[in-house]
Amino acid sequence: MIPQKFKHFQRETLNNLWQFRARNVFSVTIICLSFLIVGIFVSLSNNLQYAAQQLSQDMAVVFFLNKDISPIDRETITKELEKSPFVQKTQFVSSEEAMEKFLIKFPDLKGIVDNLKLNPFPSSYEISLREKDLTYEETQPFIDKMRGMKGIEDVQFNKDWVEKMQSLSRLARAVGFFLGGILVLASFFIVSNVIKLNVIARKDEIEILRFVGGTNIFIRIPFLTEGTILGALGGILSLLLLFVVIKLFPVYLGSSLGVLNELINFRYLTFSQSFALIFSGAVIGLFGSLSSIAKFLKS
Amino acid sequence: MIELYHIWKQYQKPDWALKDVTIKVNQGDFCFVTGPSGSGKSTLLKIIFREIFPTHGQIVVDGRNILRISDHKIYRLRRTMGIVFQDFRLLFHKRVFDNVAVVLQVLGYPRKELRRRVFNALRMVNLHQKMWEYPSHLSYGEQQRVAIARAVVNNPNIILADEPTGNLDTELAYEIMSLFSEINKKGATVIICTHDRELIRHFGEKIVFLYKGKLLREENI
Repeated sequence: MIPQKFKHFQRETLNNLWQFRARNVFSVTIICLSFLIVGIFVSLSNNLQYAAQQLSQDMAVVFFLNKDISPIDRETITKELEKSPFVQKTQFVSSEEAMEKFLIKFPDLKGIVDNLKLNPFPSSYEISLREKDLTYEETQPFIDKMRGMKGIEDVQFNKDWVEKMQSLSRLARAVGFFLGGILVLASFFIVSNVIKLNVIARKDEIEILRFVGGTNIFIRIPFLTEGTILGALGGILSLLLLFVVIKLFPVYLGSSLGVLNELINFRYLTFSQSFALIFSGAVIGLFGSLSSIAKFLKS
Repeated sequence: MIELYHIWKQYQKPDWALKDVTIKVNQGDFCFVTGPSGSGKSTLLKIIFREIFPTHGQIVVDGRNILRISDHKIYRLRRTMGIVFQDFRLLFHKRVFDNVAVVLQVLGYPRKELRRRVFNALRMVNLHQKMWEYPSHLSYGEQQRVAIARAVVNNPNIILADEPTGNLDTELAYEIMSLFSEINKKGATVIICTHDRELIRHFGEKIVFLYKGKLLREENI
């Protein structure tokens, strides 16, 4: 009996989808656009998160030393670094090594460097921190202490950038969920109303099904399946549209933005995020149709 | 057995559609409910299959007080009944076959058995050759016969028919009544609302007379 009923549900769902295709296309479009907004912000957030990760991977503090630092001062600095609980690894980079590194990274600038009579690069200590998730506030006293030591000219620390990037990422995600949430809520009501129209259009049929002994579940299932399919379809289409947006956006902007290109070079959603998007669409469709058919059957 | 005890029904004040009607229809009875328009015939049928609730009174079908059955379990009662509505209530976007098959789909019949039963039901009303047509392509009388086929396709214990011959010529009306009579002989209880006296005289075994919502008399022939 169950396979027969399953076939019946399948047929009825497809009938509903086809018979009311115009309004179904409308509701799929609304769901798709709502989820596209969410998708764009999640993608932007992914991007910022990625940038923050990249920065934190080579999270290091660089202490630049004075040109005329005395051996005693250097020894004091070395000792101070070795006894610090934050420091995992210390590497001394002489001014010659610094110039070599620079020339490897920027070989085009070799002419300029050659014209200089003296080596402009200071020697430095490059420090790897022991824990990557240390906050800026936690490491700040150590950095400040080192900055005040004799022989240290400047300190470069990218932790604050990482944190700014992470905050920005969280902000992007929050804005996405807020804006998307409103739109998703709107799409919930739209699906609900579209299904309600479909239910009303099939009022006579539902009435007959009830008179011949159809259970509420039997009557509900085709409509619930319809809503779920519409929602999931909206989710899938939004992912496809997001893919197109991600591919076309950098092409549209060109390379004029330089470094910023890396930030707007959107990364696609992860598998779990994509799945969550489609699943959310399906759930919205399911609950949208559930609310409308429940009201109708009650009346 | 269908027992109605002191049924009162009021749609809107101050008129009563049914006034203190008490009837007992035994298993296997072929019962006619008759009376002029507005006498409460259709209301009585609607109350029996619980499309509507009475204002007062109790209804017992096969030993169960149907007014106490919850909404989500009422399908069990309706599966034991076949109903022919005055306005047929056919699905015009579905073919004749599907209109009849809907009853068996609800019950989850296998496709092969479903086709066999639908075909037999349509053959019984002499419409098997038109089973792939849409109801809108059929005459009024043919539509009525589709409604009858739908009511009998799952061999229900009780058949309720509201003016089933109202739109048919005399010959066809007799044919349809013979059909109900045959179904009744197989053991089903049949309750038919009609004001066609000729048919009642010819087929009636038990007759219930209503007038302005009141039970005038009951006759067992």
